[in-house]
Amino acid sequence: MSVLILAIAIILAVMSLTQKNTVPAVISFVMMMFLLGIYYIFMGEKLLGLFQIFVYTGGIVVLTLFGVTVVGSKFPKFEIRPWAVSVVTLVIIGLIIIPFLLPDIPYEGKAIPLKDQVKIFTDFYGQIAIFMSVVAASILYGSIRMLHTLKHGKE
Amino acid sequence: MVHFYIDAIAAIILFGVGLYGVTSKSDFLKIFFSLEMLLNAVILLLASAAYNFGLTKGLAIAYVIIVIATLEAAAGVLIFILANRITGEIIPDHLDKAVSDE
Repeated sequence: MSVLILAIAIILAVMSLTQKNTVPAVISFVMMMFLLGIYYIFMGEKLLGLFQIFVYTGGIVVLTLFGVTVVGSKFPKFEIRPWAVSVVTLVIIGLIIIPFLLPDIPYEGKAIPLKDQVKIFTDFYGQIAIFMSVVAASILYGSIRMLHTLKHGKE
Repeated sequence: MVHFYIDAIAAIILFGVGLYGVTSKSDFLKIFFSLEMLLNAVILLLASAAYNFGLTKGLAIAYVIIVIATLEAAAGVLIFILANRITGEIIPDHLDKAVSDE
């Protein structure tokens, strides 16, 4: 069930970016946020789920609909940036490897006291946090460098 | 633990879709959608960590993220409308040119 909900949410996320018309894109976005809210409620995090539904499918979508009235029914044509696909593919592959590197946390079925949560982070995730910060810094450096190159290329 | 892997992979894919949208799309509305996706990927991961490992401290961060997303949406729509007034379009690349022309 959870796999189904998450798969539909991801498909709707992709649809909201690939639609050429504005209203279907907004509807896909709303449905994705609603499904994520339902998923949180299924998880047992009712407050978070209700917050998600109220804020995203309520408030933010009204703002985007206001934006749609400015844009009109169709999105403007845009230039595809091919390097974006390659960068994103590399980032996704890099990030997908990380959960499998994580060590198992001793979980006994009840909430861990807040004092111990910091200890768990430092004991289990400290080294991975350093690794991730190095990766993030290199991505940041690469993107700034790429922007610099693109700007000078245009001139 | 398997449940956490499923959630983590879904969150990473959602983050990737959002990142693609931010880097490749050139109109404000889709960039705005993509930013919300990035934030929601993080919320999904935090909620999953709270459910699977009892790391409930992350939920507090998730609520803060939702509040920040609301503020960001309001500011985003403001920029969006201002850009539309200045350039008559919703493409951020053209905004720079229009401002330099003035």
